[in-house]
Amino acid sequence: MCEVKLKFFGYLSDLSEEVPTVLSATTPTQIRSKLAIKFPKLASELHSPSLLLAVNKIIVNWDEPLEDGDEVAFLPPVTGG
Amino acid sequence: MKKIIIQSQDFSLSEEYGLLRQNSKGIGAVVTFIGLVRDFEGDSELTHLTIQHYPEMTERLIKQTVEESFERWTLNCVSVIHRVGKLTPSDQILFVGVSGRHRADAFCANQFIMDYLKTKATLWKKVHYTHRSEWAKEKISDTVAAERWRFSNE
Repeated sequence: MCEVKLKFFGYLSDLSEEVPTVLSATTPTQIRSKLAIKFPKLASELHSPSLLLAVNKIIVNWDEPLEDGDEVAFLPPVTGG
Repeated sequence: MKKIIIQSQDFSLSEEYGLLRQNSKGIGAVVTFIGLVRDFEGDSELTHLTIQHYPEMTERLIKQTVEESFERWTLNCVSVIHRVGKLTPSDQILFVGVSGRHRADAFCANQFIMDYLKTKATLWKKVHYTHRSEWAKEKISDTVAAERWRFSNE
């Protein structure tokens, strides 16, 4: 099990104020499952098909194997410009 | 010159234009775009915006878009500045400047970079009104605008 850092952006940042910044997990899917226990509303939003996921700032899939110290970011649709 | 900056402070159009000219030997066109904070969204008056980004990833994604613009068109320089943090109505949000030998390439590249920036770069806007705030939602029109570049350079 690896210790990974979590980052939430856009509307997810408002829903994740109480979420720990570090969590033990082997895949992003496992992070979502763990968050569902204490943060069901946030975990539900993480099922949105429009959400992108980045590990160490590279877009990946939910089954990406995680390594110790990885930074996992949850990215809602962007709205810059 | 390829310049990509994410910053909270304002920028000067004349300085950025000057840099594009200074670094562009043989250019025949400079196209600049500046995005401003609107004072109304629909019927609601804004007090301010806050713009959030994912440092390093945002710059890298914009750089990829700029690199692609150089592959598609004949360009000399591209400069992109996007502001983050708190911005109030009429503030400048972003600058995209493109210089090239001919105007057609410079116009297309500028619009391409803008369309991709709005749909790819990791930036999020929160809109604050007098009594409420909400995160801006993605616009289908922005997605459609970016999609057309998949099949065309015009």
